[in-house]
Amino acid sequence: MSMEMLRDVVKNVLSEVDVVIGYTEGFDKVHATPLFINTPEQVDRLIWSPICVHNLTTYLPSLKKKVGIIVKGCDSRTIVQYMQEGLINRENIKIIGIPCSGVISVKKLTKAVDYANIEDISFEKDGKINVTTDKGQKTLALTDVQPDKCRTCQYPTPVIYDHLIGDPISSDKPKESVYEDIVEFDKMTLEEKLNYWLKEFDRCIRCYACRNACPMCICQDSCIAETREPHWISQRLTTQEKLMFHMIHAVHLAGRCVECGECERVCPMGIPVNKLKRKINMDMKDLFDYEPGVNPDDKPPMYTFNVDELKIKEHKIG
Amino acid sequence: MRVGVFICHCGNNIAGTVDVKAVADEIRKIPGVAHATTYMYTCSEPGQDEIKQAIKQYNLNRIVVAACSPRMHELTFRRTIEKAGLNKYYFEMANIREHISWVGENKEANTKKAIDVITMAVAKVMQDKPLFSSSFKINKRVLVIGGGVAGMQAALDCGDGGLEVVLVEKSPSVGGMMSRLDKTFPTIDCSICILGPKMVDVAQHDKIKLYAYSEIEDIKGYVGNYQIKIRKKATYVDWTKCTGCGACMEKCPSRNAYDYFNFGVAPTKAINIPFPQAIPKKAKIDPNYCRQFTKGKCGVCAKICPTKAINYEMQDEIVTEEVGAIIVASGYSLLDLERLPEYGGGRYPDVISGIQYERLLNASGPTAGHILRPSDNTEPKTVVFVACAGSRDKSIGVPYCSNFCCMYIAKQAILTKDHIPDSQSYVFYMDIRSPGKGYDEFTRRAQEDYGVKYIRGRVSRIYPKGKKMVVRGADTLLGTQVEVEADLVVLGTAVLSNPDAARLAEKLHISYDTFGFYVESHPKLRPVETNTSGVFLAGACQGPKDIPASVGQGSAAASKVLALFSKDMLESDPAVAKVNINKCVGCLKCVRTCPFQAIKENQLRDGRIVADVIETVCAGCGVCTSTCPCGAIQLQHFTDNQILAEVNALCQG
Repeated sequence: MSMEMLRDVVKNVLSEVDVVIGYTEGFDKVHATPLFINTPEQVDRLIWSPICVHNLTTYLPSLKKKVGIIVKGCDSRTIVQYMQEGLINRENIKIIGIPCSGVISVKKLTKAVDYANIEDISFEKDGKINVTTDKGQKTLALTDVQPDKCRTCQYPTPVIYDHLIGDPISSDKPKESVYEDIVEFDKMTLEEKLNYWLKEFDRCIRCYACRNACPMCICQDSCIAETREPHWISQRLTTQEKLMFHMIHAVHLAGRCVECGECERVCPMGIPVNKLKRKINMDMKDLFDYEPGVNPDDKPPMYTFNVDELKIKEHKIG
Repeated sequence: MRVGVFICHCGNNIAGTVDVKAVADEIRKIPGVAHATTYMYTCSEPGQDEIKQAIKQYNLNRIVVAACSPRMHELTFRRTIEKAGLNKYYFEMANIREHISWVGENKEANTKKAIDVITMAVAKVMQDKPLFSSSFKINKRVLVIGGGVAGMQAALDCGDGGLEVVLVEKSPSVGGMMSRLDKTFPTIDCSICILGPKMVDVAQHDKIKLYAYSEIEDIKGYVGNYQIKIRKKATYVDWTKCTGCGACMEKCPSRNAYDYFNFGVAPTKAINIPFPQAIPKKAKIDPNYCRQFTKGKCGVCAKICPTKAINYEMQDEIVTEEVGAIIVASGYSLLDLERLPEYGGGRYPDVISGIQYERLLNASGPTAGHILRPSDNTEPKTVVFVACAGSRDKSIGVPYCSNFCCMYIAKQAILTKDHIPDSQSYVFYMDIRSPGKGYDEFTRRAQEDYGVKYIRGRVSRIYPKGKKMVVRGADTLLGTQVEVEADLVVLGTAVLSNPDAARLAEKLHISYDTFGFYVESHPKLRPVETNTSGVFLAGACQGPKDIPASVGQGSAAASKVLALFSKDMLESDPAVAKVNINKCVGCLKCVRTCPFQAIKENQLRDGRIVADVIETVCAGCGVCTSTCPCGAIQLQHFTDNQILAEVNALCQG
């Protein structure tokens, strides 16, 4: 894809919508930040590279305007899920899709350069990354510093778009690999798993970054974690309460999580929170043959009342 | 908050295995409990008076009764405290009988569990909010599903009581199973002769609107106000023009249609009137056999019909009816012969079912009332009846007794002797079940006056030998194996629920058991009610039943509807879902998951979209409350906080 083409398309789209959401440079070279484009002059600030990690679609349900939005393959699934759940009006949204060959994980990158200060970064076509730090130059492979979701990405090309910048890419990762780690994790005993999570969630500081970044967390200020009516959890800083919060978050995403990994990316404590959601997704796939955010006409299983379900036999007589 | 706790001995039912005094002593210690006492029978009049007096004396404002199931007496005690001036939802019932004293014998453990359960109820009652019912108008029309003898009786009684009745029958004629029977036990009177007049009454009653060959498509609404969608299936004959002359049936060249009325004993025509007394007496085309449909050309009936009633283009039609109550009399079905392979069911033409034999005995049946065996149309001299063919057999999935087979087999054996005096009948039976009035005398008459040989034992195998069928089984009274060479074998096949019973139950929101029979509200005291108010049961859809029982239930269900409709307004139950619009984020998950379509989208004045519960439609199932991610929709009287209070009381106590 070319930047020229992207800018042209964004300019075109801008004439039809109130705002286009894209990426621009952030406070340093490895962080991008969302850019809200209202005027054609702002288009020049647009950037596109593997540092454009955010799932920008999270803004869509609350913006009651006509919006143009730049999406990667994984982000596009959120839009499809929004459509399934009736949370957005598709007519008000222009989707600019970019086929993506992977983004970086800042956490992995900083670790790979031994937590040195990164002064510059550039990306080669062959998947090499040149990193300049205060301790010198280093060349890394993109695949080594990718977030986990990119390793098994099934949808490098957006599943829904109005404009596609560049040629579609198809996934070269086997479908079975998606939940390999979960299957492996599931082999632990119940007690081992409980201990694992107690240990992980003990670190949680209840900053709610995971919830706030989650595009499917639609309760906004009415989150059950911060209310007394109903009073499911208190504000006490115990592991039990933290565990309870994450369980609620996971269950509320049952059959809805599009696995964009934002929750895990934003966690300041490095807790693998997406694992829980992916485990539920795996079970939902098995039980209801449903994958969130793929087909706008699908019905999320937890969003419907069906008397008969394929794999639930309670209604069979005799 | 001043909670009063009343612990019932229930004679020895509770006090026998729960130390009620110790429970009261312990409960008295809970903060907020102002009074705790025990009483022999709290539900008795003096027991209720004691509650009323205690409310005044101790200035109580929340009441807990620890006794039986709330299904038994919750309403009783709600009325009691309402009379004493409290809101009736300031009341909780702790079930220490069905859940404790009846299920455990260890008095110490029971006492401890009773304390826990009552502590939970006290925690809940302290969270209870006052709730108020509203009144709504009711539509005094009634829907009867099923035009068998039970449904017809219910329809006629309702109609005579002045109610408008919508009667929906899925087959082309009313009459049901009884219209197929030849004679009825124990009086041997002609079935259609006693049923026919009732069928005519149904047709001519000015309050009854009959939809024959129609099915229930959809049911929306609630007690007092149901909207029913009825699918009038295409008959391909305009019934407003059809006179029932039968000319079409005579000339129809397609002679191999399956005869549903005669249970396939012999084929019928593709256009047919099921039987001479059919109501309505109208013809119907079976498109699976009609040449116009299968081959695309024929049109004989259209040419012959004197009133030009044939319409090959006819489509199903959906009509809507509004009613206030529903009587379900959807009847039963019978076990397929194919499911009895060891008896050669479905393989040998001379192994038939009881209902098929009934058609062979009947003058309007395919053999005009002569008993002829299907294989070669000869008169059978030896007839073997097998009772419990599938019934009381766990391997078939029918552990229950089919109720009336013993009796109709005795009847059929008697009739066989009447038809063919030199015949001999044998009956293989497990037990003879004849508890009705005159029933036992009847089975004895079959044995003593008609010489029917009763052999107690199960048949293990039936197989052909030349022109005969060999019935091999055990005679458990003699302790030997027996073999009877029969000309015809009649199986008393098991009674099953209708194949679509579950579907209908789900449309009605009523429960059904593992066999598909509908569950009544109370097996003894509320036999025709369901747990869904406004829906009543009659006949064999609730379980196998003979004619007098079905008729009795039909009348009983009608009387329940008449009692319900004696008021002009009904009170709604306030224990339904309610939306907190300040918390609702308008995701409308609840709208999509509600099985009752009781939630709709509502736009507030500031443009915000929130969910809104239609109070009268909500059945209080709670699906929405477990769906709502932010807890904005709460089931009143069962809010998250009320349930959490109970959980906390249990876990922290």
